Amino acid sequence: MRRLGDLEAEIMDRLWTWNRPATVREVVDDINKTRPIAYTTVMTVTNILYNKGWLLRGKQGRAWLYSPVRSREAYAAALMEDGLGESRDRPAALVHFVEKMSEEEVAALRKALRNVGRQAKS
Amino acid sequence: MNAAPVLVGYTAAVGFVAPRLLLCAGWPYRAPALAAAVWHALMVSFSIGVALAAYNLAMPAEHLHAGLVGLLHSCGMRVGPGEPDPGAAHRLAVALPAAIGIVLVSSFVFHVVRARRTRTRHREAVDLVGRHSAQLRATVLPYGIPAAYCLPGRHARVVISDAAVRELTSEQLNAVLEHEQGHIAGRHHLVLAAGEAFHSVFRLLPLARHARERMPLLLEMVADDRALRRHSSEALATAMYEMAAARTPKGAFAAGGHTVLIRLKRVLGPRKAPHPAFWGSVAAIAAAVPLLPLLVACPPGLS
Repeated sequence: MRRLGDLEAEIMDRLWTWNRPATVREVVDDINKTRPIAYTTVMTVTNILYNKGWLLRGKQGRAWLYSPVRSREAYAAALMEDGLGESRDRPAALVHFVEKMSEEEVAALRKALRNVGRQAKS
Repeated sequence: MNAAPVLVGYTAAVGFVAPRLLLCAGWPYRAPALAAAVWHALMVSFSIGVALAAYNLAMPAEHLHAGLVGLLHSCGMRVGPGEPDPGAAHRLAVALPAAIGIVLVSSFVFHVVRARRTRTRHREAVDLVGRHSAQLRATVLPYGIPAAYCLPGRHARVVISDAAVRELTSEQLNAVLEHEQGHIAGRHHLVLAAGEAFHSVFRLLPLARHARERMPLLLEMVADDRALRRHSSEALATAMYEMAAARTPKGAFAAGGHTVLIRLKRVLGPRKAPHPAFWGSVAAIAAAVPLLPLLVACPPGLS
């Protein structure tokens, strides 16, 4: 079963890919190429995205034109930095693979790796 | 006999001496999961010890002037009207340990709930921005630096940057993903939350400070060990290096970054698990330590 979040992702995906403001009608028509979906459903979910602050909208004639507030890359970078604990708020929520290191530490790391390489060869 | 002095002594030993011994010991890096269990056993033992000591101090023993209420009274503080009332002392004796328990449990719940709220918000955004890869069992985010992290919990996600997918070999990539799955499967977020909860109640206690400081590293090692069960140490170590080196800021010093080095040396060095007999006795001690204050407070056959 498709969840609300999936439709949200589908809508955002199209707006990011098109890289231009679009109407709900255009999004519905595009989704309809693969599966049937009601106009009102897409309109409701687009409105939710607007209220959550993911989309901007402006009127053109009688239709609303929607566009993402930020690019996919900008969101991804913010999320990554948040997830990697580089933002100021670091709750125990996210566990990340490696922490940031200083240049000296990276050099020490490189040396440790080289030593192992040498041991493996000999 | 009032067990208060013994309890206070025991609790102080657990809170102040035991963490120092554990920090100096060599085995925790060889058995990180056991070490994490020992830290938690010490925290449980300390909490029970404090609660029982409070009970015994507040409880009037041989005569009314013993115990905390009697002491306050003899020091000129008037707790209630007139002579110390045994009923009040009794209520205090029960209320103190109960309060300690309630504070600890609610602190844990607070940390779990707050972390979950942060994760949920983050996960919803990740689901919108990233693309889920069924093959990797991870969500891929467009990001120019190889990096990975996980959102543990009920709707867990492993998040990995597309640069990591591009630049790491498949062996390295799988080792990293296995490491993250280790965090999720081991429910490490709950372990961390317990440590955080204990720390926010006993903020200045060496046990609380050291446990909170040491726990993330131990859990990383547990996840490393899980990755090493299926992947070579070279793959994990080189992936670790790629990720750590790529994120190094020019000229900036980051706090606590040296833990990667400790982990890397551990992954690459000769890994020898402690002797089973040693492992077994430490595990037995870890299991017994939380019960010790109870034995001190109510010795079987004496009460």
